[in-house]
Amino acid sequence: MSDDFAFWLSYLTNGKHLTWYASFQFTIFAAAFGGTLAVIFGLIGATLKNSRFLTLRVIGTIYSSIVRGVPDVLFFLFFPLAFEQGVEWLIATQVCSPEMIAAQSAAWPPCKDANWFLGTPEYLVLASVSLGLVYGAFATNVIHGALRSVPQGQLEAARAYGMSANQVLWRVQIRQMWVYALPGLSNVWMLIIKATSLLSLLQIADIVLWADRLGAPNFLPAVGLVHADWRWRYYLVLFVFYILITWISEKSFDAIMRRAGRGILSEAR
Amino acid sequence: MDRFIAELGLFAPAAVFNIYFALASIPLGFVLAVFLALGKASDNRLINRLSRGYIYAFRGSPLFIQFFMIYSLALSFNVAVWKPMGMSWWVLHPLFIGPLVLVLNTAAYTAEIFYGALRAVPRGEIEAARAYGMSRVQQFRQVIWPNLIRLAWPAYTNEVVFLFHATAIVYLALPVIGQQKDLMITAKELFERDYNAFLHFSVAALYFLAVSLVVFFLFGLVYRRLMRHMPAIPRMRYAPTWWR
Repeated sequence: MSDDFAFWLSYLTNGKHLTWYASFQFTIFAAAFGGTLAVIFGLIGATLKNSRFLTLRVIGTIYSSIVRGVPDVLFFLFFPLAFEQGVEWLIATQVCSPEMIAAQSAAWPPCKDANWFLGTPEYLVLASVSLGLVYGAFATNVIHGALRSVPQGQLEAARAYGMSANQVLWRVQIRQMWVYALPGLSNVWMLIIKATSLLSLLQIADIVLWADRLGAPNFLPAVGLVHADWRWRYYLVLFVFYILITWISEKSFDAIMRRAGRGILSEAR
Repeated sequence: MDRFIAELGLFAPAAVFNIYFALASIPLGFVLAVFLALGKASDNRLINRLSRGYIYAFRGSPLFIQFFMIYSLALSFNVAVWKPMGMSWWVLHPLFIGPLVLVLNTAAYTAEIFYGALRAVPRGEIEAARAYGMSRVQQFRQVIWPNLIRLAWPAYTNEVVFLFHATAIVYLALPVIGQQKDLMITAKELFERDYNAFLHFSVAALYFLAVSLVVFFLFGLVYRRLMRHMPAIPRMRYAPTWWR
Protein backbone atom coordinates (compact mmCIF):
# COMPACT_ATOMS: atom_id res chain seq x y z
CA MET A 1 0.00 0.00 0.00
CA SER A 2 2.64 2.50 1.08
CA ASP A 3 4.85 1.21 -1.73
CA ASP A 4 2.07 1.97 -4.18
CA PHE A 5 1.70 5.41 -2.72
CA ALA A 6 5.42 6.11 -2.95
CA PHE A 7 5.43 4.83 -6.53
CA TRP A 8 2.61 7.08 -7.68
CA LEU A 9 4.03 10.03 -5.78
CA SER A 10 7.36 9.65 -7.54
CA TYR A 11 5.64 9.09 -10.89
CA LEU A 12 3.59 12.24 -10.49
CA THR A 13 6.64 14.29 -9.51
CA ASN A 14 9.02 13.16 -12.26
CA GLY A 15 10.58 15.74 -14.53
CA LYS A 16 7.98 15.58 -17.26
CA HIS A 17 5.13 15.99 -14.79
CA LEU A 18 6.86 18.93 -13.13
CA THR A 19 7.15 20.57 -16.54
CA TRP A 20 3.44 19.95 -17.01
CA TYR A 21 2.64 21.62 -13.69
CA ALA A 22 4.92 24.52 -14.59
CA SER A 23 3.11 24.99 -17.91
CA PHE A 24 -0.02 26.04 -16.03
CA GLN A 25 1.69 29.44 -15.76
CA PHE A 26 1.13 29.99 -19.50
CA THR A 27 -2.60 29.37 -19.14
CA ILE A 28 -2.88 31.59 -16.10
CA PHE A 29 -0.82 34.36 -17.70
CA ALA A 30 -2.89 34.27 -20.89
CA ALA A 31 -6.14 34.40 -18.94
CA ALA A 32 -5.01 37.29 -16.69
CA PHE A 33 -3.33 39.38 -19.38
CA GLY A 34 -5.98 38.59 -22.00
CA GLY A 35 -8.76 39.42 -19.55
CA THR A 36 -7.20 42.77 -18.66
CA LEU A 37 -6.74 43.62 -22.33
CA ALA A 38 -10.31 42.58 -23.08
CA VAL A 39 -11.61 45.11 -20.54
CA ILE A 40 -9.32 47.81 -21.96
CA PHE A 41 -10.35 47.05 -25.56
CA GLY A 42 -13.95 46.89 -24.38
CA LEU A 43 -13.68 50.36 -22.84
CA ILE A 44 -12.07 51.71 -26.02
CA GLY A 45 -14.67 50.02 -28.20
CA ALA A 46 -17.56 51.30 -26.10
CA THR A 47 -16.10 54.83 -26.18
CA LEU A 48 -15.85 54.58 -29.97
CA LYS A 49 -19.42 53.31 -30.19
CA ASN A 50 -20.62 56.20 -28.02
CA SER A 51 -18.59 58.77 -29.93
CA ARG A 52 -20.17 61.86 -31.47
CA PHE A 53 -18.21 61.35 -34.69
CA LEU A 54 -19.79 59.02 -37.21
CA THR A 55 -16.47 57.51 -38.37
CA LEU A 56 -15.44 56.49 -34.87
CA ARG A 57 -18.92 55.13 -34.18
CA VAL A 58 -18.77 53.06 -37.37
CA ILE A 59 -15.32 51.73 -36.45
CA GLY A 60 -16.53 50.71 -33.00
CA THR A 61 -19.63 49.02 -34.38
CA ILE A 62 -17.72 47.19 -37.10
CA TYR A 63 -15.10 45.99 -34.61
CA SER A 64 -17.64 44.57 -32.20
CA SER A 65 -19.90 42.98 -34.80
CA ILE A 66 -17.29 41.50 -37.16
CA VAL A 67 -15.14 39.97 -34.46
CA ARG A 68 -18.19 38.45 -32.76
CA GLY A 69 -19.54 37.16 -36.06
CA VAL A 70 -16.43 35.07 -36.70
CA PRO A 71 -15.34 32.00 -34.68
CA ASP A 72 -12.95 32.92 -31.88
CA VAL A 73 -10.45 30.24 -33.00
CA LEU A 74 -10.20 31.79 -36.42
CA PHE A 75 -9.36 35.25 -35.15
CA PHE A 76 -7.19 33.78 -32.41
CA LEU A 77 -5.04 32.07 -35.05
CA PHE A 78 -5.21 34.88 -37.58
CA PHE A 79 -4.05 37.78 -35.44
CA PRO A 80 -0.63 36.47 -34.32
CA LEU A 81 0.15 35.23 -37.85
CA ALA A 82 -0.89 38.52 -39.43
CA PHE A 83 0.99 40.55 -36.82
CA GLU A 84 4.16 38.51 -37.34
CA GLN A 85 3.89 39.03 -41.10
CA GLY A 86 3.27 42.74 -40.66
CA VAL A 87 6.42 43.13 -38.57
CA GLU A 88 8.43 41.05 -41.04
CA TRP A 89 7.17 43.18 -43.90
CA LEU A 90 8.24 46.31 -42.00
CA ILE A 91 11.70 44.85 -41.37
CA ALA A 92 11.89 43.83 -45.03
CA THR A 93 11.33 47.38 -46.21
CA GLN A 94 14.36 48.39 -44.14
CA VAL A 95 16.91 45.61 -44.53
CA CYS A 96 16.17 43.83 -47.83
CA SER A 97 18.03 44.79 -50.97
CA PRO A 98 16.61 43.80 -54.40
CA GLU A 99 19.32 41.13 -54.82
CA MET A 100 18.40 39.54 -51.50
CA ILE A 101 14.72 39.47 -52.49
CA ALA A 102 15.63 37.87 -55.82
CA ALA A 103 17.74 35.27 -54.02
CA GLN A 104 14.89 34.27 -51.67
CA SER A 105 13.16 31.11 -52.88
CA ALA A 106 10.50 30.68 -50.18
CA ALA A 107 7.23 32.59 -50.37
CA TRP A 108 7.84 34.35 -47.06
CA PRO A 109 9.68 36.29 -45.62
CA PRO A 110 10.76 38.57 -48.51
CA CYS A 111 14.42 38.02 -47.65
CA LYS A 112 16.22 35.86 -45.11
CA ASP A 113 17.29 38.76 -42.90
CA ALA A 114 13.69 39.89 -42.46
CA ASN A 115 12.78 36.70 -40.61
CA TRP A 116 11.40 37.36 -37.15
CA PHE A 117 11.75 34.31 -34.94
CA LEU A 118 9.05 33.97 -32.31
CA GLY A 119 9.65 31.94 -29.16
CA THR A 120 7.16 30.89 -26.51
CA PRO A 121 7.13 34.23 -24.61
CA GLU A 122 6.45 36.22 -27.79
CA TYR A 123 3.71 33.86 -28.90
CA LEU A 124 2.21 33.97 -25.43
CA VAL A 125 2.00 37.76 -25.49
CA LEU A 126 0.57 37.69 -29.02
CA ALA A 127 -1.96 35.04 -27.99
CA SER A 128 -3.03 37.16 -25.02
CA VAL A 129 -3.40 40.26 -27.20
CA SER A 130 -5.40 38.15 -29.60
CA LEU A 131 -7.66 36.93 -26.77
CA GLY A 132 -8.01 40.54 -25.65
CA LEU A 133 -9.03 41.64 -29.14
CA VAL A 134 -11.58 38.85 -29.60
CA TYR A 135 -13.22 39.13 -26.20
CA GLY A 136 -12.78 42.90 -26.16
CA ALA A 137 -15.43 42.87 -28.87
CA PHE A 138 -17.78 41.04 -26.50
CA ALA A 139 -16.80 43.38 -23.67
CA THR A 140 -17.49 46.36 -25.94
CA ASN A 141 -21.10 45.31 -26.16
CA VAL A 142 -21.38 44.69 -22.44
CA ILE A 143 -19.80 48.02 -21.48
CA HIS A 144 -21.75 49.88 -24.14
CA GLY A 145 -24.98 48.55 -22.64
CA ALA A 146 -23.80 49.23 -19.08
CA LEU A 147 -22.92 52.87 -19.87
CA ARG A 148 -26.50 53.36 -20.99
CA SER A 149 -27.91 51.71 -17.88
CA VAL A 150 -26.51 54.36 -15.54
CA PRO A 151 -29.59 56.34 -14.39
CA GLN A 152 -29.99 59.62 -16.24
CA GLY A 153 -30.66 61.43 -12.97
CA GLN A 154 -27.12 60.73 -11.81
CA LEU A 155 -25.65 62.30 -14.93
CA GLU A 156 -28.00 65.29 -14.72
CA ALA A 157 -27.06 65.82 -11.09
CA ALA A 158 -23.37 65.73 -12.02
CA ARG A 159 -23.96 68.29 -14.76
CA ALA A 160 -25.93 70.45 -12.35
CA TYR A 161 -22.87 70.48 -10.09
CA GLY A 162 -21.03 72.09 -12.98
CA MET A 163 -18.94 69.10 -14.08
CA SER A 164 -17.58 69.14 -17.60
CA ALA A 165 -18.56 66.39 -20.03
CA ASN A 166 -15.30 64.55 -19.38
CA GLN A 167 -15.74 64.79 -15.66
CA VAL A 168 -19.27 63.42 -15.91
CA LEU A 169 -17.99 60.53 -18.00
CA TRP A 170 -15.02 59.61 -15.82
CA ARG A 171 -16.24 60.50 -12.35
CA VAL A 172 -19.86 59.42 -12.58
CA GLN A 173 -20.74 57.35 -15.61
CA ILE A 174 -17.76 54.98 -15.72
CA ARG A 175 -17.61 54.69 -11.93
CA GLN A 176 -21.25 53.63 -11.74
CA MET A 177 -21.17 51.53 -14.89
CA TRP A 178 -19.29 48.60 -13.32
CA VAL A 179 -22.29 47.38 -11.35
CA TYR A 180 -24.29 46.96 -14.55
CA ALA A 181 -21.34 45.61 -16.53
CA LEU A 182 -20.21 42.98 -14.02
CA PRO A 183 -22.68 40.18 -14.91
CA GLY A 184 -21.79 40.53 -18.59
CA LEU A 185 -18.08 40.83 -17.89
CA SER A 186 -18.21 37.69 -15.78
CA ASN A 187 -19.64 35.89 -18.82
CA VAL A 188 -16.81 37.25 -20.98
CA TRP A 189 -14.28 36.12 -18.37
CA MET A 190 -15.70 32.57 -18.49
CA LEU A 191 -15.28 32.64 -22.27
CA ILE A 192 -11.66 33.79 -21.91
CA ILE A 193 -10.86 31.01 -19.45
CA LYS A 194 -12.22 28.45 -21.88
CA ALA A 195 -10.34 30.01 -24.78
CA THR A 196 -7.00 29.63 -22.95
CA SER A 197 -7.20 25.94 -23.82
CA LEU A 198 -6.39 26.92 -27.42
CA LEU A 199 -2.83 28.11 -26.65
CA SER A 200 -1.31 24.90 -27.97
CA LEU A 201 -2.52 25.85 -31.46
CA LEU A 202 0.12 28.62 -31.41
CA GLN A 203 3.04 26.27 -30.63
CA ILE A 204 2.97 27.09 -26.92
CA ALA A 205 3.83 24.04 -24.78
CA ASP A 206 0.81 24.56 -22.56
CA ILE A 207 -1.14 22.18 -20.32
CA VAL A 208 -3.02 20.58 -23.22
CA LEU A 209 0.15 19.76 -25.17
CA TRP A 210 1.83 18.29 -22.09
CA ALA A 211 -1.25 16.25 -21.20
CA ASP A 212 -1.08 14.78 -24.69
CA ARG A 213 2.63 13.99 -24.40
CA LEU A 214 2.38 12.50 -20.90
CA GLY A 215 -0.63 10.36 -21.72
CA ALA A 216 0.66 8.99 -25.02
CA PRO A 217 1.30 5.23 -24.76
CA ASN A 218 4.88 4.33 -23.87
CA PHE A 219 6.51 0.98 -24.66
CA LEU A 220 10.13 1.84 -23.91
CA PRO A 221 11.18 1.21 -20.28
CA ALA A 222 14.18 3.49 -20.84
CA VAL A 223 11.91 6.48 -21.42
CA GLY A 224 9.77 6.03 -18.34
CA LEU A 225 6.85 4.07 -17.00
CA VAL A 226 5.51 1.59 -19.58
CA HIS A 227 1.80 2.23 -19.90
CA ALA A 228 -1.02 2.06 -22.41
CA ASP A 229 -2.86 5.07 -23.79
CA TRP A 230 -3.54 7.19 -20.71
CA ARG A 231 -4.43 10.39 -22.51
CA TRP A 232 -8.04 10.34 -21.41
CA ARG A 233 -6.95 10.38 -17.76
CA TYR A 234 -4.84 13.48 -18.31
CA TYR A 235 -7.60 15.19 -20.25
CA LEU A 236 -10.03 14.28 -17.50
CA VAL A 237 -7.74 16.12 -15.07
CA LEU A 238 -7.81 19.19 -17.34
CA PHE A 239 -11.60 18.87 -17.67
CA VAL A 240 -11.92 18.96 -13.87
CA PHE A 241 -9.33 21.74 -13.63
CA TYR A 242 -11.35 24.00 -15.94
CA ILE A 243 -14.59 23.22 -14.10
CA LEU A 244 -12.90 24.14 -10.82
CA ILE A 245 -11.57 27.41 -12.27
CA THR A 246 -15.06 28.23 -13.54
CA TRP A 247 -16.51 27.46 -10.13
CA ILE A 248 -13.96 29.66 -8.35
CA SER A 249 -14.50 32.51 -10.81
CA GLU A 250 -18.24 32.24 -10.38
CA LYS A 251 -17.96 32.50 -6.60
CA SER A 252 -15.49 35.41 -6.81
CA PHE A 253 -17.69 37.31 -9.24
CA ASP A 254 -20.66 36.78 -6.94
CA ALA A 255 -18.66 38.28 -4.08
CA ILE A 256 -17.44 41.20 -6.20
CA MET A 257 -20.96 41.89 -7.44
CA ARG A 258 -22.30 41.89 -3.90
CA ARG A 259 -19.60 44.32 -2.87
CA ALA A 260 -19.95 46.54 -5.92
CA GLY A 261 -23.71 46.62 -5.49
CA ARG A 262 -23.60 48.13 -1.99
CA GLY A 263 -25.79 51.19 -1.73
CA ILE A 264 -27.46 50.55 -5.08
CA LEU A 265 -31.10 49.57 -5.22
CA SER A 266 -31.35 45.82 -5.63
CA GLU A 267 -33.58 45.91 -8.71
CA ALA A 268 -30.79 47.78 -10.48
CA ARG A 269 -28.68 44.64 -10.41
CA MET B 1 -10.22 39.74 -57.62
CA ASP B 2 -10.00 36.60 -59.76
CA ARG B 3 -7.89 35.09 -57.05
CA PHE B 4 -10.54 35.93 -54.49
CA ILE B 5 -13.28 34.21 -56.50
CA ALA B 6 -11.07 31.17 -57.10
CA GLU B 7 -10.48 31.11 -53.36
CA LEU B 8 -14.23 31.16 -52.69
CA GLY B 9 -14.55 28.08 -54.91
CA LEU B 10 -11.71 26.34 -53.05
CA PHE B 11 -13.44 26.83 -49.73
CA ALA B 12 -16.92 25.74 -50.82
CA PRO B 13 -16.38 21.97 -50.36
CA ALA B 14 -14.73 22.69 -47.01
CA ALA B 15 -17.76 24.63 -45.80
CA VAL B 16 -19.87 21.51 -46.39
CA PHE B 17 -18.06 19.79 -43.50
CA ASN B 18 -18.79 22.64 -41.10
CA ILE B 19 -22.42 22.69 -42.19
CA TYR B 20 -22.61 18.91 -41.81
CA PHE B 21 -21.27 19.07 -38.25
CA ALA B 22 -23.79 21.74 -37.32
CA LEU B 23 -26.75 20.05 -39.01
CA ALA B 24 -25.90 16.67 -37.52
CA SER B 25 -25.71 17.99 -33.98
CA ILE B 26 -28.53 20.55 -33.83
CA PRO B 27 -31.59 18.19 -33.75
CA LEU B 28 -30.14 15.72 -31.24
CA GLY B 29 -28.77 18.50 -29.09
CA PHE B 30 -32.19 20.14 -29.08
CA VAL B 31 -33.99 17.00 -27.91
CA LEU B 32 -31.35 16.19 -25.30
CA ALA B 33 -31.50 19.79 -24.06
CA VAL B 34 -35.26 19.63 -23.49
CA PHE B 35 -34.82 16.55 -21.29
CA LEU B 36 -31.87 18.11 -19.44
CA ALA B 37 -33.81 21.32 -18.81
CA LEU B 38 -36.78 19.33 -17.49
CA GLY B 39 -34.34 17.31 -15.41
CA LYS B 40 -32.83 20.45 -13.92
CA ALA B 41 -36.31 21.65 -12.99
CA SER B 42 -37.34 18.21 -11.70
CA ASP B 43 -38.29 17.55 -8.09
CA ASN B 44 -36.59 14.16 -8.12
CA ARG B 45 -33.34 14.75 -6.26
CA LEU B 46 -31.27 12.27 -8.24
CA ILE B 47 -32.42 13.47 -11.68
CA ASN B 48 -32.05 17.07 -10.58
CA ARG B 49 -28.48 16.58 -9.31
CA LEU B 50 -27.43 14.62 -12.37
CA SER B 51 -28.72 17.10 -14.93
CA ARG B 52 -27.40 20.05 -12.94
CA GLY B 53 -23.96 18.44 -12.74
CA TYR B 54 -23.94 17.58 -16.42
CA ILE B 55 -24.93 21.09 -17.49
CA TYR B 56 -22.38 22.66 -15.15
CA ALA B 57 -19.56 20.38 -16.27
CA PHE B 58 -20.10 20.86 -19.99
CA ARG B 59 -20.66 24.61 -19.74
CA GLY B 60 -17.72 25.07 -17.41
CA SER B 61 -15.05 23.36 -19.49
CA PRO B 62 -13.65 24.20 -22.93
CA LEU B 63 -15.03 22.38 -25.97
CA PHE B 64 -11.43 21.83 -27.08
CA ILE B 65 -10.74 19.73 -23.97
CA GLN B 66 -14.05 17.90 -24.36
CA PHE B 67 -13.03 16.87 -27.86
CA PHE B 68 -9.67 15.54 -26.71
CA MET B 69 -11.16 13.82 -23.70
CA ILE B 70 -13.96 11.99 -25.48
CA TYR B 71 -11.82 11.11 -28.48
CA SER B 72 -9.05 9.67 -26.32
CA LEU B 73 -11.64 7.84 -24.25
CA ALA B 74 -13.06 6.30 -27.41
CA LEU B 75 -9.53 5.41 -28.52
CA SER B 76 -8.76 3.63 -25.26
CA PHE B 77 -11.76 1.33 -25.79
CA ASN B 78 -10.65 0.57 -29.33
CA VAL B 79 -8.70 -2.64 -28.77
CA ALA B 80 -11.11 -4.08 -26.21
CA VAL B 81 -14.48 -3.11 -27.62
CA TRP B 82 -14.71 -1.40 -31.00
CA LYS B 83 -12.25 -3.54 -32.91
CA PRO B 84 -13.68 -6.97 -31.96
CA MET B 85 -17.15 -5.69 -32.81
CA GLY B 86 -15.90 -4.28 -36.12
CA MET B 87 -17.17 -0.83 -35.23
CA SER B 88 -13.94 1.12 -35.03
CA TRP B 89 -14.16 2.40 -38.60
CA TRP B 90 -17.14 4.56 -37.72
CA VAL B 91 -16.91 5.02 -33.94
CA LEU B 92 -13.48 6.63 -34.22
CA HIS B 93 -14.30 8.59 -37.38
CA PRO B 94 -14.25 12.39 -36.96
CA LEU B 95 -17.54 12.57 -38.82
CA PHE B 96 -19.06 10.59 -35.92
CA ILE B 97 -17.04 11.81 -32.91
CA GLY B 98 -17.33 15.45 -34.04
CA PRO B 99 -21.14 15.62 -33.95
CA LEU B 100 -21.17 13.44 -30.82
CA VAL B 101 -19.09 15.91 -28.80
CA LEU B 102 -20.90 18.88 -30.30
CA VAL B 103 -24.23 17.35 -29.26
CA LEU B 104 -23.01 16.79 -25.70
CA ASN B 105 -21.70 20.37 -25.58
CA THR B 106 -24.60 22.19 -27.20
CA ALA B 107 -27.14 20.18 -25.19
CA ALA B 108 -25.69 21.65 -21.99
CA TYR B 109 -25.75 25.25 -23.26
CA THR B 110 -29.22 24.86 -24.79
CA ALA B 111 -30.53 23.19 -21.64
CA GLU B 112 -29.44 26.20 -19.62
CA ILE B 113 -31.34 28.48 -22.02
CA PHE B 114 -34.44 26.26 -21.87
CA TYR B 115 -34.21 26.05 -18.10
CA GLY B 116 -34.16 29.84 -17.87
CA ALA B 117 -37.16 30.02 -20.19
CA LEU B 118 -38.95 27.29 -18.24
CA ARG B 119 -38.66 29.37 -15.08
CA ALA B 120 -39.94 32.42 -16.92
CA VAL B 121 -43.16 30.72 -18.06
CA PRO B 122 -45.99 32.74 -16.43
CA ARG B 123 -47.18 30.96 -13.31
CA GLY B 124 -50.77 32.07 -13.84
CA GLU B 125 -51.02 30.15 -17.10
CA ILE B 126 -49.81 26.94 -15.47
CA GLU B 127 -52.28 27.44 -12.61
CA ALA B 128 -55.07 28.03 -15.09
CA ALA B 129 -54.13 24.82 -16.90
CA ARG B 130 -54.19 22.96 -13.58
CA ALA B 131 -57.57 24.48 -12.79
CA TYR B 132 -58.88 23.08 -16.07
CA GLY B 133 -57.86 19.66 -14.81
CA MET B 134 -55.11 19.08 -17.36
CA SER B 135 -52.73 16.22 -16.71
CA ARG B 136 -49.03 17.00 -16.39
CA VAL B 137 -48.33 15.85 -19.93
CA GLN B 138 -51.18 18.01 -21.22
CA GLN B 139 -49.91 20.98 -19.22
CA PHE B 140 -46.50 20.58 -20.76
CA ARG B 141 -47.72 20.16 -24.32
CA GLN B 142 -50.48 22.76 -24.31
CA VAL B 143 -49.12 25.47 -22.02
CA ILE B 144 -45.52 25.16 -20.90
CA TRP B 145 -43.86 24.12 -24.16
CA PRO B 146 -45.36 26.84 -26.41
CA ASN B 147 -44.40 29.48 -23.86
CA LEU B 148 -40.96 28.01 -23.32
CA ILE B 149 -39.99 27.84 -26.96
CA ARG B 150 -41.14 31.40 -27.63
CA LEU B 151 -39.16 32.73 -24.69
CA ALA B 152 -36.06 30.71 -25.54
CA TRP B 153 -36.01 31.15 -29.32
CA PRO B 154 -33.84 34.32 -29.62
CA ALA B 155 -31.24 32.92 -27.23
CA TYR B 156 -31.41 29.55 -28.96
CA THR B 157 -30.70 31.25 -32.27
CA ASN B 158 -27.51 32.67 -30.77
CA GLU B 159 -26.59 29.24 -29.46
CA VAL B 160 -26.99 27.70 -32.92
CA VAL B 161 -24.70 30.36 -34.40
CA PHE B 162 -22.16 29.66 -31.67
CA LEU B 163 -22.46 25.97 -32.39
CA PHE B 164 -21.67 26.68 -36.01
CA HIS B 165 -18.66 28.71 -34.92
CA ALA B 166 -17.62 25.84 -32.66
CA THR B 167 -17.43 23.50 -35.65
CA ALA B 168 -14.18 25.35 -36.49
CA ILE B 169 -12.52 23.46 -33.64
CA VAL B 170 -13.51 19.94 -34.71
CA TYR B 171 -10.58 19.21 -37.02
CA LEU B 172 -8.12 21.14 -34.86
CA ALA B 173 -8.71 18.48 -32.21
CA LEU B 174 -9.51 15.38 -34.28
CA PRO B 175 -7.40 13.79 -37.02
CA VAL B 176 -8.01 14.92 -40.60
CA ILE B 177 -8.74 11.92 -42.83
CA GLY B 178 -7.71 12.31 -46.46
CA GLN B 179 -9.35 15.22 -48.20
CA GLN B 180 -12.01 15.73 -45.51
CA LYS B 181 -10.95 19.25 -44.55
CA ASP B 182 -13.16 21.89 -43.02
CA LEU B 183 -12.78 25.67 -43.38
CA MET B 184 -10.10 26.10 -40.71
CA ILE B 185 -7.88 23.28 -41.98
CA THR B 186 -8.22 24.54 -45.56
CA ALA B 187 -7.28 28.05 -44.49
CA LYS B 188 -4.30 26.78 -42.49
CA GLU B 189 -3.02 24.58 -45.31
CA LEU B 190 -3.33 27.32 -47.91
CA PHE B 191 -1.60 29.70 -45.51
CA GLU B 192 1.30 27.31 -45.04
CA ARG B 193 1.66 27.14 -48.83
CA ASP B 194 1.88 30.84 -49.72
CA TYR B 195 1.75 32.71 -46.38
CA ASN B 196 -1.11 34.96 -47.41
CA ALA B 197 -2.91 35.14 -44.07
CA PHE B 198 -5.18 38.01 -45.04
CA LEU B 199 -6.70 36.31 -48.07
CA HIS B 200 -7.20 32.79 -46.74
CA PHE B 201 -8.43 33.62 -43.29
CA SER B 202 -10.78 36.34 -44.52
CA VAL B 203 -12.39 33.96 -46.99
CA ALA B 204 -12.92 31.40 -44.21
CA ALA B 205 -14.30 34.17 -42.00
CA LEU B 206 -16.61 35.24 -44.82
CA TYR B 207 -18.07 31.74 -45.05
CA PHE B 208 -18.69 31.70 -41.31
CA LEU B 209 -20.31 35.13 -41.45
CA ALA B 210 -22.47 34.15 -44.42
CA VAL B 211 -23.76 30.97 -42.82
CA SER B 212 -24.38 32.83 -39.54
CA LEU B 213 -26.51 35.37 -41.42
CA VAL B 214 -28.47 32.56 -43.09
CA VAL B 215 -29.08 31.00 -39.67
CA PHE B 216 -30.27 34.33 -38.29
CA PHE B 217 -32.60 34.75 -41.27
CA LEU B 218 -34.10 31.24 -41.09
CA PHE B 219 -34.50 31.32 -37.33
CA GLY B 220 -36.01 34.78 -37.63
CA LEU B 221 -38.66 33.33 -39.96
CA VAL B 222 -39.44 30.61 -37.43
CA TYR B 223 -39.63 33.24 -34.71
CA ARG B 224 -42.12 35.25 -36.76
CA ARG B 225 -44.21 32.10 -37.11
CA LEU B 226 -43.97 31.35 -33.39
CA MET B 227 -45.05 34.92 -32.59
CA ARG B 228 -47.82 35.14 -35.19
CA HIS B 229 -50.47 35.69 -32.50
CA MET B 230 -48.79 38.89 -31.34
CA PRO B 231 -50.00 42.22 -32.70
CA ALA B 232 -46.46 43.51 -33.24
CA ILE B 233 -43.70 40.97 -33.76
CA PRO B 234 -40.92 41.56 -31.25
CA ARG B 235 -37.74 42.26 -33.18
CA MET B 236 -35.07 39.67 -33.10
CA ARG B 237 -31.51 40.80 -32.54
CA TYR B 238 -29.38 39.96 -35.53
CA ALA B 239 -26.13 39.53 -33.68
CA PRO B 240 -24.70 37.00 -31.30
CA THR B 241 -24.53 38.51 -27.84
CA TRP B 242 -22.24 37.66 -24.96
CA TRP B 243 -24.77 35.01 -24.01
CA ARG B 244 -22.47 32.06 -23.93
